[in-house]
Amino acid sequence: MSIVLDRPAVRIDVDGRAEPKTLLELPVLTLAEHRIGIIGANGSGKSTLLRLLNGLVLPTAGRVTVGGLDTARDVRAVRRRVGFVFTDPLSQLVMPTPREDVELSLRRPVRNGGERRARAEAVLDRFGLLGLADQSVYELSGGERQLAALAAVLAVEPEILVLDEPSTLLDLRNRELLRTILASLGQQVVLSTHDLEIAADMDRVLVIDAGTVVFDGAAPAAVDRYRALCGMPARP
Amino acid sequence: MVHRAPLWAKFLLVLLCGAGSWLVSDWAVSAAALALLSAVFLASGAGIRRLATAVRPVLPILALVGAFQWWQLGGPTAARIVLNVLVCVVAASIVTATTPVRELLDGAASLARPLERFGADPERFALTIAIMVRSIPFIAGAFADVRDSARARGLERNPRALVLPVFITTVAFARQTGEALAARGLGDADAG
Repeated sequence: MSIVLDRPAVRIDVDGRAEPKTLLELPVLTLAEHRIGIIGANGSGKSTLLRLLNGLVLPTAGRVTVGGLDTARDVRAVRRRVGFVFTDPLSQLVMPTPREDVELSLRRPVRNGGERRARAEAVLDRFGLLGLADQSVYELSGGERQLAALAAVLAVEPEILVLDEPSTLLDLRNRELLRTILASLGQQVVLSTHDLEIAADMDRVLVIDAGTVVFDGAAPAAVDRYRALCGMPARP
Repeated sequence: MVHRAPLWAKFLLVLLCGAGSWLVSDWAVSAAALALLSAVFLASGAGIRRLATAVRPVLPILALVGAFQWWQLGGPTAARIVLNVLVCVVAASIVTATTPVRELLDGAASLARPLERFGADPERFALTIAIMVRSIPFIAGAFADVRDSARARGLERNPRALVLPVFITTVAFARQTGEALAARGLGDADAG
Protein backbone atom coordinates (compact mmCIF):
# COMPACT_ATOMS: atom_id res chain seq x y z
CA MET A 1 0.00 0.00 0.00
CA SER A 2 1.39 3.37 -0.86
CA ILE A 3 0.58 6.94 0.04
CA VAL A 4 0.42 9.40 -2.83
CA LEU A 5 0.54 13.12 -2.19
CA ASP A 6 -0.52 14.87 -5.35
CA ARG A 7 0.70 18.44 -4.92
CA PRO A 8 -1.23 19.04 -1.69
CA ALA A 9 -1.20 22.49 -0.11
CA VAL A 10 -2.58 23.60 3.23
CA ARG A 11 -3.48 27.27 3.58
CA ILE A 12 -5.32 29.06 6.34
CA ASP A 13 -6.94 32.46 6.53
CA VAL A 14 -5.33 34.76 9.06
CA ASP A 15 -7.05 37.80 10.58
CA GLY A 16 -5.74 41.05 9.19
CA ARG A 17 -4.10 39.50 6.13
CA ALA A 18 -5.56 39.60 2.66
CA GLU A 19 -3.63 36.54 1.47
CA PRO A 20 -4.14 33.17 3.20
CA LYS A 21 -1.05 31.84 4.94
CA THR A 22 0.56 28.75 3.42
CA LEU A 23 1.44 26.11 6.03
CA LEU A 24 2.53 23.44 3.62
CA GLU A 25 3.02 23.14 -0.13
CA LEU A 26 4.36 19.84 -1.41
CA PRO A 27 5.36 18.40 -4.79
CA VAL A 28 4.11 15.02 -5.98
CA LEU A 29 5.38 12.48 -3.47
CA THR A 30 4.88 8.72 -3.40
CA LEU A 31 5.60 7.27 0.02
CA ALA A 32 6.07 3.54 -0.44
CA GLU A 33 9.19 2.78 1.63
CA HIS A 34 8.86 0.65 4.74
CA ARG A 35 10.31 3.29 7.10
CA ILE A 36 9.95 6.99 6.33
CA GLY A 37 11.19 9.81 8.53
CA ILE A 38 10.32 13.50 8.45
CA ILE A 39 12.69 15.99 10.07
CA GLY A 40 12.71 19.76 10.23
CA ALA A 41 12.61 22.71 12.59
CA ASN A 42 9.72 23.55 14.94
CA GLY A 43 6.81 24.98 12.99
CA SER A 44 8.17 23.80 9.62
CA GLY A 45 5.03 21.80 8.79
CA LYS A 46 5.94 18.27 9.93
CA SER A 47 2.80 17.75 12.00
CA THR A 48 0.61 19.20 9.26
CA LEU A 49 2.16 16.78 6.75
CA LEU A 50 1.51 13.80 9.05
CA ARG A 51 -2.08 14.93 9.63
CA LEU A 52 -2.64 14.98 5.87
CA LEU A 53 -1.98 11.25 5.80
CA ASN A 54 -5.09 10.28 7.79
CA GLY A 55 -7.39 13.17 6.93
CA LEU A 56 -7.06 15.04 10.23
CA VAL A 57 -5.98 17.93 8.00
CA LEU A 58 -7.44 18.16 4.50
CA PRO A 59 -5.49 19.77 1.66
CA THR A 60 -6.92 23.07 0.45
CA ALA A 61 -5.44 22.27 -2.98
CA GLY A 62 -4.24 19.01 -4.53
CA ARG A 63 -5.11 15.66 -3.01
CA VAL A 64 -3.81 12.84 -0.82
CA THR A 65 -4.61 9.18 -1.37
CA VAL A 66 -3.79 6.13 0.73
CA GLY A 67 -3.93 2.88 -1.23
CA GLY A 68 -6.07 4.68 -3.78
CA LEU A 69 -8.53 6.06 -1.17
CA ASP A 70 -8.94 9.83 -1.07
CA THR A 71 -8.45 11.26 2.45
CA ALA A 72 -11.23 13.79 1.90
CA ARG A 73 -13.88 11.48 0.43
CA ASP A 74 -13.12 8.16 2.15
CA VAL A 75 -11.86 9.50 5.45
CA ARG A 76 -13.26 6.63 7.57
CA ALA A 77 -11.74 3.95 5.39
CA VAL A 78 -8.45 5.86 5.39
CA ARG A 79 -8.41 6.10 9.19
CA ARG A 80 -9.05 2.38 9.50
CA ARG A 81 -5.88 1.79 7.47
CA VAL A 82 -3.74 4.50 9.04
CA GLY A 83 -3.06 4.37 12.78
CA PHE A 84 -1.92 7.66 14.31
CA VAL A 85 0.18 8.08 17.48
CA PHE A 86 0.31 11.58 18.97
CA THR A 87 3.27 13.17 20.74
CA ASP A 88 1.46 13.31 24.08
CA PRO A 89 -0.05 9.93 24.89
CA LEU A 90 -2.27 11.50 27.55
CA SER A 91 -4.30 13.31 24.91
CA GLN A 92 -4.69 10.06 23.04
CA LEU A 93 -5.63 7.67 25.82
CA VAL A 94 -9.32 8.37 26.29
CA MET A 95 -10.18 5.77 28.89
CA PRO A 96 -9.03 5.66 32.54
CA THR A 97 -6.88 2.49 32.17
CA PRO A 98 -4.83 0.86 29.36
CA ARG A 99 -7.09 -2.21 29.33
CA GLU A 100 -10.23 -0.11 28.83
CA ASP A 101 -8.52 1.98 26.18
CA VAL A 102 -7.45 -1.03 24.14
CA GLU A 103 -10.93 -2.55 24.54
CA LEU A 104 -12.39 0.73 23.31
CA SER A 105 -10.30 0.43 20.12
CA LEU A 106 -11.61 -3.10 19.63
CA ARG A 107 -15.29 -2.31 20.24
CA ARG A 108 -16.15 -1.96 16.55
CA PRO A 109 -14.11 -4.81 15.04
CA VAL A 110 -14.75 -7.35 17.84
CA ARG A 111 -18.42 -7.49 18.85
CA ASN A 112 -18.16 -10.37 21.31
CA GLY A 113 -17.24 -9.17 24.82
CA GLY A 114 -15.21 -12.22 25.88
CA GLU A 115 -13.30 -12.36 22.63
CA ARG A 116 -12.61 -8.64 22.87
CA ARG A 117 -11.18 -9.04 26.37
CA ALA A 118 -8.91 -11.85 25.19
CA ARG A 119 -7.69 -9.83 22.18
CA ALA A 120 -7.02 -6.80 24.41
CA GLU A 121 -5.01 -8.93 26.83
CA ALA A 122 -2.98 -10.37 23.98
CA VAL A 123 -2.14 -6.88 22.69
CA LEU A 124 -1.24 -5.59 26.17
CA ASP A 125 0.90 -8.66 26.76
CA ARG A 126 2.80 -8.07 23.51
CA PHE A 127 3.87 -4.65 24.80
CA GLY A 128 4.60 -5.92 28.32
CA LEU A 129 1.71 -3.96 29.75
CA LEU A 130 -0.46 -6.75 31.12
CA GLY A 131 0.72 -6.11 34.68
CA LEU A 132 -0.24 -2.43 34.37
CA ALA A 133 -3.51 -3.03 32.52
CA ASP A 134 -5.76 -1.83 35.33
CA GLN A 135 -3.69 1.10 36.59
CA SER A 136 -4.85 4.64 35.96
CA VAL A 137 -3.12 6.14 32.92
CA TYR A 138 -2.04 8.96 35.23
CA GLU A 139 -0.06 6.51 37.35
CA LEU A 140 1.94 5.20 34.39
CA SER A 141 5.36 6.57 33.50
CA GLY A 142 5.78 8.53 30.26
CA GLY A 143 7.23 5.48 28.50
CA GLU A 144 4.45 3.19 29.70
CA ARG A 145 1.86 5.69 28.52
CA GLN A 146 3.45 5.90 25.07
CA LEU A 147 3.44 2.08 24.89
CA ALA A 148 -0.22 2.00 25.95
CA ALA A 149 -1.10 4.52 23.24
CA LEU A 150 0.83 2.44 20.70
CA ALA A 151 -0.94 -0.73 21.87
CA ALA A 152 -4.36 0.91 21.53
CA VAL A 153 -3.57 2.03 17.98
CA LEU A 154 -1.97 -1.26 16.86
CA ALA A 155 -4.80 -3.33 18.41
CA VAL A 156 -6.93 -2.71 15.32
CA GLU A 157 -4.04 -3.72 13.02
CA PRO A 158 -3.71 -0.70 10.74
CA GLU A 159 -1.62 -1.17 7.60
CA ILE A 160 0.29 2.10 8.10
CA LEU A 161 1.46 3.61 11.37
CA VAL A 162 2.01 7.37 11.59
CA LEU A 163 3.80 8.76 14.66
CA ASP A 164 4.18 12.45 15.51
CA GLU A 165 7.46 12.93 17.41
CA PRO A 166 6.98 9.69 19.35
CA SER A 167 10.19 9.94 21.40
CA THR A 168 9.96 13.58 22.51
CA LEU A 169 8.66 12.76 26.02
CA LEU A 170 10.69 9.58 26.51
CA ASP A 171 13.86 8.94 28.49
CA LEU A 172 16.79 7.11 26.91
CA ARG A 173 15.72 3.63 28.02
CA ASN A 174 12.17 4.09 26.74
CA ARG A 175 13.40 5.62 23.52
CA GLU A 176 15.52 2.52 22.89
CA LEU A 177 12.49 0.35 23.66
CA LEU A 178 10.45 2.37 21.15
CA ARG A 179 13.17 1.95 18.50
CA THR A 180 13.20 -1.81 19.04
CA ILE A 181 9.42 -2.01 18.78
CA LEU A 182 9.31 0.16 15.66
CA ALA A 183 11.98 -1.99 14.03
CA SER A 184 9.92 -5.12 14.75
CA LEU A 185 6.65 -3.87 13.26
CA GLY A 186 5.34 -5.29 9.98
CA GLN A 187 3.49 -2.06 9.25
CA GLN A 188 4.74 0.73 7.05
CA VAL A 189 5.90 3.50 9.41
CA VAL A 190 5.91 7.25 8.76
CA LEU A 191 7.20 9.37 11.64
CA SER A 192 8.36 12.87 12.38
CA THR A 193 11.17 13.32 14.86
CA HIS A 194 13.79 15.64 16.29
CA ASP A 195 15.77 12.58 17.30
CA LEU A 196 18.46 12.19 14.66
CA GLU A 197 19.29 8.64 15.74
CA ILE A 198 15.71 7.58 15.13
CA ALA A 199 15.85 9.43 11.80
CA ALA A 200 18.96 7.39 10.94
CA ASP A 201 16.92 4.15 11.31
CA MET A 202 14.67 5.20 8.41
CA ASP A 203 14.89 4.02 4.79
CA ARG A 204 13.99 7.45 3.43
CA VAL A 205 14.00 10.85 5.12
CA LEU A 206 12.27 14.06 4.04
CA VAL A 207 13.62 17.36 5.35
CA ILE A 208 10.87 19.97 5.67
CA ASP A 209 11.60 23.67 5.90
CA ALA A 210 9.06 26.51 5.83
CA GLY A 211 6.33 24.22 4.52
CA THR A 212 8.23 22.61 1.63
CA VAL A 213 10.43 19.59 1.07
CA VAL A 214 14.04 20.74 0.81
CA PHE A 215 15.61 17.29 0.79
CA ASP A 216 14.33 13.81 0.00
CA GLY A 217 16.62 10.82 0.17
CA ALA A 218 18.75 8.58 2.34
CA ALA A 219 19.00 9.23 6.07
CA PRO A 220 22.67 10.28 6.45
CA ALA A 221 22.50 12.93 3.72
CA ALA A 222 19.15 14.16 5.07
CA VAL A 223 20.58 14.60 8.55
CA ASP A 224 23.54 16.55 7.11
CA ARG A 225 21.14 18.80 5.23
CA TYR A 226 19.10 19.39 8.37
CA ARG A 227 22.22 20.23 10.39
CA ALA A 228 23.27 22.72 7.72
CA LEU A 229 19.79 24.29 7.81
CA CYS A 230 20.19 24.78 11.56
CA GLY A 231 23.56 26.45 11.03
CA MET A 232 25.61 23.55 12.32
CA PRO A 233 28.66 21.94 10.71
CA ALA A 234 28.19 18.56 9.02
CA ARG A 235 29.01 15.57 11.21
CA PRO A 236 32.70 14.72 11.44
CA MET B 1 -22.21 -5.80 51.33
CA VAL B 2 -22.74 -2.33 49.83
CA HIS B 3 -20.11 -3.13 47.20
CA ARG B 4 -21.96 -6.24 46.08
CA ALA B 5 -25.37 -4.58 45.85
CA PRO B 6 -26.42 -4.33 42.20
CA LEU B 7 -25.92 -0.99 40.50
CA TRP B 8 -29.63 -0.48 39.88
CA ALA B 9 -30.30 -0.77 43.62
CA LYS B 10 -27.75 1.98 44.27
CA PHE B 11 -29.25 4.16 41.56
CA LEU B 12 -32.67 3.55 43.10
CA LEU B 13 -31.33 4.69 46.48
CA VAL B 14 -30.13 7.98 44.99
CA LEU B 15 -33.43 8.42 43.16
CA LEU B 16 -35.41 7.78 46.36
CA CYS B 17 -33.28 10.29 48.28
CA GLY B 18 -33.84 12.88 45.57
CA ALA B 19 -37.59 12.28 45.45
CA GLY B 20 -37.80 12.04 49.23
CA SER B 21 -36.27 15.48 49.62
CA TRP B 22 -39.39 16.91 47.95
CA LEU B 23 -41.82 14.94 50.12
CA VAL B 24 -40.32 15.04 53.60
CA SER B 25 -41.68 17.94 55.60
CA ASP B 26 -40.10 17.27 58.99
CA TRP B 27 -36.43 18.12 59.46
CA ALA B 28 -36.08 15.34 62.05
CA VAL B 29 -36.85 12.76 59.34
CA SER B 30 -34.13 14.30 57.15
CA ALA B 31 -31.67 14.17 60.03
CA ALA B 32 -32.49 10.51 60.63
CA ALA B 33 -32.05 9.72 56.93
CA LEU B 34 -28.71 11.51 56.90
CA ALA B 35 -27.53 9.57 59.95
CA LEU B 36 -28.63 6.29 58.37
CA LEU B 37 -26.92 6.99 55.04
CA SER B 38 -23.73 8.13 56.74
CA ALA B 39 -23.76 4.85 58.67
CA VAL B 40 -24.17 2.93 55.37
CA PHE B 41 -21.29 4.92 53.85
CA LEU B 42 -19.01 4.11 56.78
CA ALA B 43 -20.14 0.46 56.77
CA SER B 44 -19.01 0.18 53.13
CA GLY B 45 -15.47 0.69 54.41
CA ALA B 46 -14.85 3.92 52.49
CA GLY B 47 -13.88 5.68 55.71
CA ILE B 48 -14.76 8.96 57.38
CA ARG B 49 -12.14 10.92 55.46
CA ARG B 50 -13.73 10.08 52.11
CA LEU B 51 -17.09 11.08 53.50
CA ALA B 52 -15.62 14.42 54.54
CA THR B 53 -14.05 14.99 51.10
CA ALA B 54 -17.38 14.24 49.44
CA VAL B 55 -19.33 16.66 51.61
CA ARG B 56 -16.81 19.49 52.06
CA PRO B 57 -17.18 21.16 48.62
CA VAL B 58 -20.93 21.77 49.10
CA LEU B 59 -20.66 23.13 52.65
CA PRO B 60 -20.01 26.82 51.80
CA ILE B 61 -22.99 26.88 49.43
CA LEU B 62 -25.14 25.07 51.95
CA ALA B 63 -24.17 27.57 54.64
CA LEU B 64 -25.29 30.42 52.37
CA VAL B 65 -28.52 28.67 51.37
CA GLY B 66 -29.20 27.72 54.98
CA ALA B 67 -28.69 31.27 56.24
CA PHE B 68 -30.93 32.69 53.53
CA GLN B 69 -33.72 30.17 54.22
CA TRP B 70 -33.44 30.74 57.94
CA TRP B 71 -34.02 34.44 57.36
CA GLN B 72 -36.87 33.85 54.89
CA LEU B 73 -38.62 30.73 56.19
CA GLY B 74 -37.31 30.07 59.68
CA GLY B 75 -35.07 27.50 61.38
CA PRO B 76 -36.89 24.16 60.80
CA THR B 77 -37.34 24.73 57.05
CA ALA B 78 -33.73 25.83 56.66
CA ALA B 79 -32.54 22.75 58.54
CA ARG B 80 -34.76 20.49 56.39
CA ILE B 81 -33.46 21.91 53.12
CA VAL B 82 -29.80 21.73 54.13
CA LEU B 83 -30.14 18.21 55.52
CA ASN B 84 -31.98 17.01 52.41
CA VAL B 85 -29.20 18.24 50.15
CA LEU B 86 -26.66 16.48 52.37
CA VAL B 87 -28.71 13.27 52.15
CA CYS B 88 -28.53 13.41 48.34
CA VAL B 89 -24.79 14.13 48.36
CA VAL B 90 -24.04 11.23 50.71
CA ALA B 91 -26.30 8.87 48.74
CA ALA B 92 -24.51 9.76 45.50
CA SER B 93 -21.12 9.31 47.19
CA ILE B 94 -22.12 5.82 48.28
CA VAL B 95 -22.62 4.92 44.62
CA THR B 96 -19.33 6.39 43.42
CA ALA B 97 -17.30 5.08 46.37
CA THR B 98 -18.47 1.49 45.98
CA THR B 99 -18.66 1.08 42.19
CA PRO B 100 -15.73 0.76 39.72
CA VAL B 101 -15.82 3.29 36.88
CA ARG B 102 -16.29 0.62 34.22
CA GLU B 103 -19.44 -0.68 35.96
CA LEU B 104 -20.79 2.86 36.19
CA LEU B 105 -20.21 3.28 32.44
CA ASP B 106 -21.94 0.01 31.58
CA GLY B 107 -24.80 1.17 33.81
CA ALA B 108 -24.95 4.50 32.00
CA ALA B 109 -24.93 2.75 28.61
CA SER B 110 -27.76 0.42 29.60
CA LEU B 111 -29.74 3.37 31.00
CA ALA B 112 -29.43 5.07 27.61
CA ARG B 113 -30.42 1.90 25.71
CA PRO B 114 -34.21 2.51 25.85
CA LEU B 115 -33.55 5.86 24.14
CA GLU B 116 -31.97 4.07 21.18
CA ARG B 117 -35.26 4.04 19.24
CA PHE B 118 -35.28 7.84 19.42
CA GLY B 119 -31.88 7.98 17.75
CA ALA B 120 -29.62 8.01 20.82
CA ASP B 121 -26.43 5.93 20.64
CA PRO B 122 -25.73 4.27 24.03
CA GLU B 123 -22.09 3.60 23.11
CA ARG B 124 -21.50 7.28 22.41
CA PHE B 125 -23.33 8.16 25.60
CA ALA B 126 -21.00 5.92 27.61
CA LEU B 127 -17.96 7.24 25.71
CA THR B 128 -18.95 10.81 26.55
CA ILE B 129 -19.22 10.01 30.24
CA ALA B 130 -15.93 8.08 30.15
CA ILE B 131 -14.16 11.11 28.67
CA MET B 132 -15.77 13.34 31.28
CA VAL B 133 -14.59 11.10 34.13
CA ARG B 134 -11.15 10.81 32.56
CA SER B 135 -10.84 14.60 32.14
CA ILE B 136 -11.37 15.48 35.79
CA PRO B 137 -7.86 14.47 36.92
CA PHE B 138 -6.42 16.26 33.87
CA ILE B 139 -8.11 19.54 34.76
CA ALA B 140 -7.13 19.14 38.41
CA GLY B 141 -3.53 18.55 37.25
CA ALA B 142 -3.68 21.60 34.97
CA PHE B 143 -4.79 23.69 37.94
CA ALA B 144 -1.87 22.43 40.04
CA ASP B 145 0.61 23.16 37.22
CA VAL B 146 -0.73 26.65 36.62
CA ARG B 147 -0.74 27.44 40.33
CA ASP B 148 2.90 26.37 40.57
CA SER B 149 3.96 28.43 37.58
CA ALA B 150 1.98 31.45 38.82
CA ARG B 151 3.68 31.10 42.19
CA ALA B 152 7.09 30.84 40.52
CA ARG B 153 6.41 34.21 38.89
CA GLY B 154 4.89 35.76 42.03
CA LEU B 155 1.43 35.98 40.46
CA GLU B 156 -0.45 33.73 42.87
CA ARG B 157 -2.78 36.54 43.94
CA ASN B 158 -3.86 37.33 40.41
CA PRO B 159 -7.02 35.35 39.60
CA ARG B 160 -6.56 35.95 35.87
CA ALA B 161 -3.15 34.30 36.01
CA LEU B 162 -4.84 31.23 37.50
CA VAL B 163 -8.13 30.90 35.67
CA LEU B 164 -7.20 31.89 32.12
CA PRO B 165 -4.35 29.40 31.57
CA VAL B 166 -6.44 26.53 32.99
CA PHE B 167 -9.25 27.51 30.66
CA ILE B 168 -6.93 27.60 27.64
CA THR B 169 -5.22 24.33 28.59
CA THR B 170 -8.60 22.66 28.98
CA VAL B 171 -9.82 23.83 25.58
CA ALA B 172 -6.56 22.63 24.00
CA PHE B 173 -6.97 19.27 25.76
CA ALA B 174 -10.53 19.01 24.47
CA ARG B 175 -9.32 19.66 20.91
CA GLN B 176 -6.53 17.09 21.23
CA THR B 177 -8.98 14.54 22.61
CA GLY B 178 -11.34 15.22 19.71
CA GLU B 179 -8.49 14.80 17.24
CA ALA B 180 -7.41 11.56 18.90
CA LEU B 181 -10.98 10.21 18.80
CA ALA B 182 -11.28 11.14 15.13
CA ALA B 183 -7.92 9.54 14.31
CA ARG B 184 -9.07 6.30 15.92
CA GLY B 185 -12.43 6.44 14.19
CA LEU B 186 -14.24 6.49 17.55
CA GLY B 187 -17.56 8.20 18.09
CA ASP B 188 -18.51 7.97 14.42
CA ALA B 189 -22.25 7.99 13.96
CA ASP B 190 -22.50 4.77 11.97
CA ALA B 191 -21.83 1.44 13.61
CA GLY B 192 -19.94 0.08 10.56
